[in-house]
This record gives sequence, C-alpha cells and structure tokens, in this order.
Amino acid sequence: MKDEILEEVAKVIIPLIQVFGVYVIFHGHLSPGGGFAGGTIIGASFILYRIVYGKEKASMKFSYKRLMKIVSFGLLAYGTMKGYSFVSGGSHLNWPSPPLGTPGKILSGGFLLPLNIVVGAVVGITMYFFYSLFDEGEI
Amino acid sequence: MLIDSFPLLTVLLLFITASIMPLLKKSNLVKGICIISFIVSFVMYLATLNRVLKTGDYFYRVGHFNAPFGIEFHVGTVECIMGILFTFVAIMVIWNSIYNIHFDIREDKIPLYYLLVNILIASLLGIVFSNDMFNVFVFIEIGNLASCGIVVVKDKKENIKAGMKYLIMSCLGSGLVLMGIAFLYSITGHLNMTYIHNELVKNYIHYPRTILITLGLFTVGLGVKSAMFPLHTWLPDAHSNAPTTSSAILSSLVLKGYILFLIKVLYRVFGIEIIRNFPILNIILVLGCLGMILGSIFAIFQKNLKRVIAYSTVAQMGYIFFAIGLGTELGIIMSIFHIIGHAVTKAALFLCTGAIIQGTGHKNLDELKGVGKEMPYTLGLFFIASLSMIGIPLLPGFVSKWYLALGSIEANKTLLIAVILASSLLNAVYYFPVSINGFFGEENLRGKIYKSKSKSLKELLPIIILVIAMIYIGIDSQSIINLIKTGLV
Amino acid sequence: MEKLLTNYYETGAIILFGIGFMTLLLNNNLIKKIIGMNIMDTAVFLFFIAKGYIQGKEAPIISGNFKGMEGYINPIPTSLMLTGIVVAVSTTAFALALTVKIYEKYGTVELDKILNKGE
Repeated sequence: MKDEILEEVAKVIIPLIQVFGVYVIFHGHLSPGGGFAGGTIIGASFILYRIVYGKEKASMKFSYKRLMKIVSFGLLAYGTMKGYSFVSGGSHLNWPSPPLGTPGKILSGGFLLPLNIVVGAVVGITMYFFYSLFDEGEI
Repeated sequence: MLIDSFPLLTVLLLFITASIMPLLKKSNLVKGICIISFIVSFVMYLATLNRVLKTGDYFYRVGHFNAPFGIEFHVGTVECIMGILFTFVAIMVIWNSIYNIHFDIREDKIPLYYLLVNILIASLLGIVFSNDMFNVFVFIEIGNLASCGIVVVKDKKENIKAGMKYLIMSCLGSGLVLMGIAFLYSITGHLNMTYIHNELVKNYIHYPRTILITLGLFTVGLGVKSAMFPLHTWLPDAHSNAPTTSSAILSSLVLKGYILFLIKVLYRVFGIEIIRNFPILNIILVLGCLGMILGSIFAIFQKNLKRVIAYSTVAQMGYIFFAIGLGTELGIIMSIFHIIGHAVTKAALFLCTGAIIQGTGHKNLDELKGVGKEMPYTLGLFFIASLSMIGIPLLPGFVSKWYLALGSIEANKTLLIAVILASSLLNAVYYFPVSINGFFGEENLRGKIYKSKSKSLKELLPIIILVIAMIYIGIDSQSIINLIKTGLV
Repeated sequence: MEKLLTNYYETGAIILFGIGFMTLLLNNNLIKKIIGMNIMDTAVFLFFIAKGYIQGKEAPIISGNFKGMEGYINPIPTSLMLTGIVVAVSTTAFALALTVKIYEKYGTVELDKILNKGE
C-alpha cells in the first residue's frame, strides 16, 4: 500500500515495538515473558514492515538466505548448549558452566539468558516466514 | 563414564545434524551427512547394548536435577534392541534412497526431506528411551509434524489430500493422549513413570472410574496413531501415495514407536495386577483379531501394488495387538519379536516395490505381469520377503505365528488358533499371485527382453542386506527371544 | 452431581472438549475442522491448568518479598502447558498451509467434494 501517513507512523512505531520485544526476551528469567512471547512481538514488527512497505523492499532487507542462516546457526547453538548441560549433568562430570549469580540480577541463572535469546530469534523469524508463506504461496 | 550418555548423545546428534542441512546446496553432501550420523548412532547403540548386558539396566538423569523433578532415561535391554533396529533399518532405507530419490522429489527440496527424516527418527528414539510422560508427549508431537511432512513433500494432488487426512487424525490422537496424561497427573501428582506406578499400586481401589477412562483414552489415542482396526482409515492413502523411502520408513518404524509407548503405559505404568481388573485387554484382543482378518480381506480387492502392501501393514499390526491383548509374559515377548521381524520385512518389501515401479513405470497389478523376465533379482527378493509374511518355516513370520498359537493355548483361548490360521491363508491369497504372475505364464512373457530393466547390484545391495538380516532373525530366533525375556521385568 | 458443580473448571473443560471433538468429526468444511481441533486442544489446556489451583494462594511471581513455599500455587502444570500451546500453534499453522495448497489444486475446501473428485 502506498499511504504517506502509514509510512511515517510506521517509521516511528516499528523500532519501539522491537525495543519492547528485546526487553521481554532479556528479562525472561525475572518477569513474565521469555523467548516465545518476545519472539512473537519481534515477528509482529517484521510483518508490519512487510505490510506497510510492500514485498520488494521487505525481501531486500529480510532475504531468505540470511534468515535461514540465522535460524540454522541458532538451532545449532541451542543444541550444543543443551547437549553440554545434559551430558555434564547426567554423567556426573564437573565441567565448567556459566555462573548462577544472585537471583534478581540480569546476569544470573546460568544458561537461561543465551537460550532465551536464541529462542526469541528463531520464533520471530518463523512468524515472518509463515506470514510470507500465506501471502505469496512460497517463501 | 561417557558411555552412560550414549542414548542421549544419539538423539542430540541427529537433531544437530538436522539443523545444519538447510544451509548446504549440494545434495550429495546432505546424503553423506545423513548416512554418517546414522552409522555413528548404530555403533553407539551396539556399545550401549554391550554395557547393559554386562552390568544391568540403569536410569540416566538428564541435566543436573534428580527425578522426580528432572527428566530421566531408562536404558534397558529391550530399549537398546529397539534402538539398534531403528537405526539399522534407517541406514538401509537411506542407502537405497541415495540412488533414486530424484525420481520422486524436486531437486531443491532434497535437503528439506533429509532434515525431516533425521528429526523423525530422533523423535522415535526419544519415545523409546524416555521415562517421563510429558517428555514422551513432546517427542510424539515432533514426530507428528515430521511424518506428515515426509508424505506431502512430493507435490501431487493425492499426496496433499492424504497428508491432510493423516495430520488431522494424528492430531486427534495426540489430543486424546494429552487428556490421558492430564488425568494421570491429577490422580497421582507425578509425571515420572516409576513414581506413578508406586502411587497407583497404593490407591487404585479408590479411583475405579478414573482409571477406566484413562485406559480408554490412551488406547484410543495411541490406536489412532498406530492403525488399530477401526481407526486405520488414514493408512492406505498416506502410505501408498508417499515417495518410496517415506513409505518404507513410515510403515516399518513410525507405527512401532507408538505401540512401544502403549506397551510401556499398560505394563510399566499400570502393571499387570491393576490391568486385570478392567476389560481393556479383551477389547484390544478382539480389535486385533478383527484387524488381522479384515485387513487381509481388504487387501485382496486392491489393484495398486503399494495399496496391497499398505493394507497388509494393517493386518500385521493386528498381530501385534493380538499379542498385547493376551496378557501373559509370552504375549509381550512375542509382540516385541514381531515388531523386529515385521520392520525388517516390510522395509524390504517397500524398497523392492519402489524399484519395480521406477524400473517399469507401471503401478497396477495387471500391468505388472511378466515383470519377472525383466527384473528377475528384484522380484526374487520380493518373493523371499513375502514368504516370511505368509508364514513359511525358518523365517520370522512363522516363529511369530507358532508362539502366538502357543500363547493362546496357555491363556485358555484355544479358538484363536483358528483366527491365526485363517489370516495366514488370506495372506497367501494376495501375496502369491504377484510373484507367480511375474515369473510364470507364457502369454505374460511374450515380447519382453531378459533382464532389460534390471537394477544394478550396487543399487540392490541394501535390499539384499535387509533380506539376509530377516533370514538371520528367523534362524536365530530363540536367542533373540531369550534376550528379550531377560530384559523384561 | 454436586462434585461436578464444585469443580466447575474441569466440567467446563470436558464439555468444551466434546464440542471441539464433534466439530472436528462432523463438519464438512476443512477450515471448520481446524477450528474444532483448536477448541479441543484449548479444552485440554484448561483442564490441566485448572488442576494446579490451590484456594487462597496467588500466582508464582515474586513481587516484593518472597513468601516461602506455601504462598503460591503449583507452577508445574502452567509451564508444561506452555510447551503444549506452542505445539498446537505450529500444528495449526502447518494444517492451514496444507489447506491453502489443497485449495489451489482442487478449487474447493469442502471435504466431500474433494473425496469425490479424487478417486
């Protein structure tokens, strides 16, 4: 759609939505939210960009190759971190792990913070893929 | 002590290699990574079986929390045998698919296909090993999406309709299973299978109706997903329209994972003393008998070769439900033995069928007469595999039927031997004409050149290894049965 | 009968499950079948989460000071159902994508017309 008011308002609102989404992801272990909820918010901001600015500009900024690379490396990192934690716990080995810290601070809880970030990225990109799939028929 | 974590490492390895696959462009690299990950898993399971036979089964806690707060895996003899079986059949099927996957699927969807196969087999291994009810539910849901994906990846009209029917019925089944888990949690307050069993033994007398509803929900829910008799309607469409590799994996492996979960729920969570007070075992027995007879009767009337084999799968699932419903120790042992025998045989049958359909281009039975002169070795392997289905001695089909007859005498239900004999005869009625019309009859063979469309030895090697494994299981059946008996508690 | 009325959350969940099940089986339109599947899954989530409620205690979020273990409701059913909701969403999305493809190939979304056209 080619509407001037919509474009100008979207230029201001989309960064605010993304900042809120990043806050929900990063505070996942201290307040309600976490990876899934924050990822959905960021995915909604991508979909809004695609609706307002049209298909060509959106596929220049969010190309299929770059998004697939982020998803694949994200899943690889998730699997490796989880595997490290499971194997070191199950076999009673004492390998080093991120510190637990004090509850209530942002850098606490061991592996929780990196896992939330990965899950947020993957969920956001998946939401955007589903919208473009229903809109076009192909990604 | 890293050898303790081998079962968990295989599931993780399959998931991690699945997430690398969308990035690669060349399909040869993708096929190579897939086969190497399965070979590594197979070797790891052999090492774990070795360890379990020496020191006994053990519980492996996942992560840093003990049960009942954390998840644990129960690694025993039966689970290791299942793990070896799944990875072995998967290696053979994928080895065969290296040469002829490009007949069925477009070139750019091949990495996606191998990703789905990896995720599917990893979720089945998770169902087999896990000891926590909700963990099994998560793996069931992952397997749902992956197995529906490998049916619809071929883009034809009938595939998408069959895939849609499969998805809806599978989702119905897992919704019922989740309701059953909710009922069990509300009675006992635990999610770990051994803790639930201890709680149920103490106070099952106070909750007769709740346990009856829970058993019904689990049986119907898992019966929909593993083709118990009246709920099997999704199976012929889905298994016959899918690409050859998908049909082989779906028919031989996917149905078995859910039956194994049903065996675990009935005999490990509830236990044989509680189950005897409810009529659920008789219902499973009756439905198994109906499946054996009616599945074969439907198979006789089909014209497409793949649909005949798909209906034969329904009949063989009837045998396994019959064995579960007998309620004795011999019944459980024979159901697990039939799972092993049927997986190898059905994979060989579907791979032979795929080779025949790609070689000649015909799918219907009346166009396939005389194919024996053009592809003698392939039809010969098909003939040997179908002999096992009918029940010729020295092959695993005969061993299953013999011990099932012994089991039904032991449980005082002697009439059921007639059912077993009737279903064996019906099996012969539809398997023999395929081979006989292929090899003999003068008017069939006129105009065909000898060995014109035969596949090379390199492509037939996985099928030959599967048939040799099937003959070995048939000959060495007594030691396998003793191995299973030591694994059951 | 009074047991059904005191546990009204569970009764409502089972009635909703029945409604979703009937919608899934008896309707002809594919979109309505997917809606029925969603209603059925939501009913199971409601049943499970309602089992975690203990009367007189509050939600398990620390705001202010920590009240010890007896001040909060059981958090395990809620966290399990989070996984269930994600699974239900992804299954619905996959089913809808398949419906779009069926509409392209067959031209209709009614199930009996699709079955008649096929074979």
